Amino acid sequence: MKKEYSKDILEEIGKKFPDAVVKIHAPRRTYIRIPRDKVPALAEFLFKDKGCRLSIATGIDTRDGIEILYHFSLDESGTYYNIKTIIPKDDPQIKSIAPFLPAAEWIEREIHELFGVDFIGHPNLIPLLTAETWPENLYPLRRDYANEHKDLKLKKKM
Amino acid sequence: MASAKLWGLKKSPWVFHLAAASCNNCDIEILDVLTPRWDVERFGIVLVGSPRHADALLVTGVINRKSLPRVIEVYKQTPKPCLVIGVGTCTCDNHMFDGSYNVVGPYDKYIPVDVYIPGCPPKPEAIIMGVVKALQRL
Amino acid sequence: MNIVVLLFNLIVFPGFLFTAVVGLFITWVDRKVTARIHWRVGPPWFQPYADFLKLLIKETMIPEGSSRILYLAGPLIGIVSMSILAVMLFRMNFNPGMTFVGDLIVIIYLLAMPPLGIILGGSASKNPLAGVGASREMTQYFAYELPFLIAIAIVIIKANGSIRLGEIIMAQQGQGPFLYSISGVIAGIVILLATQAKLSFVPFDIPEAEQEIMAGPYVEYSGVALAMFKVTRAMMYLLMPLFLITVLWGGFANWWAILKALLIIVLIVLIKNTNPRIRIDQALKFFWIGLGVLSIIGLVLAFNGL
Repeated sequence: MKKEYSKDILEEIGKKFPDAVVKIHAPRRTYIRIPRDKVPALAEFLFKDKGCRLSIATGIDTRDGIEILYHFSLDESGTYYNIKTIIPKDDPQIKSIAPFLPAAEWIEREIHELFGVDFIGHPNLIPLLTAETWPENLYPLRRDYANEHKDLKLKKKM
Repeated sequence: MASAKLWGLKKSPWVFHLAAASCNNCDIEILDVLTPRWDVERFGIVLVGSPRHADALLVTGVINRKSLPRVIEVYKQTPKPCLVIGVGTCTCDNHMFDGSYNVVGPYDKYIPVDVYIPGCPPKPEAIIMGVVKALQRL
Repeated sequence: MNIVVLLFNLIVFPGFLFTAVVGLFITWVDRKVTARIHWRVGPPWFQPYADFLKLLIKETMIPEGSSRILYLAGPLIGIVSMSILAVMLFRMNFNPGMTFVGDLIVIIYLLAMPPLGIILGGSASKNPLAGVGASREMTQYFAYELPFLIAIAIVIIKANGSIRLGEIIMAQQGQGPFLYSISGVIAGIVILLATQAKLSFVPFDIPEAEQEIMAGPYVEYSGVALAMFKVTRAMMYLLMPLFLITVLWGGFANWWAILKALLIIVLIVLIKNTNPRIRIDQALKFFWIGLGVLSIIGLVLAFNGL
């Protein structure tokens, strides 16, 4: 198979989800930006109908809100189709894709404990990596965490 | 008789490898040291599977909030007298992770360390030299 | 029997001290040959003695909630039984007239004591890994004991039905060692592989699998108790080849016996270094079906005089 994104898949996505914005970043990586309530449907389409595999999910705190990227990989051609959503910070909720995609269970737990995003419908939303004594409502990877606890940062020893 | 037993401790240190939240680079270098190319069995060094059999703890990695109680527990389970050897710069002063939200400081604050081996990761020759220096301090 | 001579035999020569020192030397030979196979240099000659001395200065920690007596009795059973076995073997070989009825059965019972000590010690440490190791040791003991007993039966038949060790040795001096016949070779192979399993060497080091259950039944042992376990294994390393020479190769009352023992030890080391570890169910099938059938064939051949 040719090592490039497949135009048929992108056309199908354009037909099924009219409010998706497709950006072709490189011959083997495309970003599909979509509002947050359509994410489970698009993920199911990529996973079940096209046979993609969930590689990882990443999160970052930007000025517009918390942006979550799901990286789906089509293994035969070596291409990546990434789903991008932006979640507003005063209402951090999104529907979880773990009920039909068990691979997303742990990474959604990690995004929940480090960013504070609530995944609705997740079977087991408990912290994964932080210590057992870490306080509940402290989300370390948000931008305001660094500003609040700036005084607690130790000086770098040379 | 005491000097004979101390001679025994110098000539046959059994090591146990404990990795607390490391990036695993130092662990790969420790694995390299135990291969036939550097042949550390000449000094009597053997890798054992249980901390109760160990004389020297080779610790790697920066201490996390989550791994701190477990590292202290393993140190308590090692029968004394034992050596603690910190491999890698992360054990000395947290290297590049200093100031992060999850890092609780160098190993010195919690368990007594005998020798630090700096390097990211240290070469196998450096690790052997560090272990020999720790043995000479006995 | 003079009680002083008996105690001297039991503790110094050829009982505990002599067997322990020579056994530890044999473990050094093992490590040196292994190192040469790996193209490296290997430890110096005093290494096992340094290990033993070092273990004496470490503190012995007893797990909370375990039974003290059983925890400390596990290593002791092995040492006591191996010392008695050493005395018996050396005495029978150097004057075969001192034998009594059924002493071969006593030797088989004594050889069953060290695995019993390991199982006792492993079950008494309050650790699930030690429990798994102890149960694997039990299963492996049942596996290799069956063909081992049939091989002993072959030896008994070839010695015209007597179960005295002295008469077995004298019969070999009369008609030539039992090893120089087909059923003798079969019995030799079976006893050699049973030795490999008894000493917990690869491919049968299932109870002590380092990558799976840390150290098996020895997980919670440290200090003097661990030193006793290691010395027990060193003593078995000397006494099992000597037992094989006694029942199959004409006894060791002459100087050729040193070469014969070295040959058996090198064979054990070679098998140790060229094989991976097998699973416990594969070990059971190997011993009961593979070696069991082989030893029954040997039994039938021995009946017909071959």
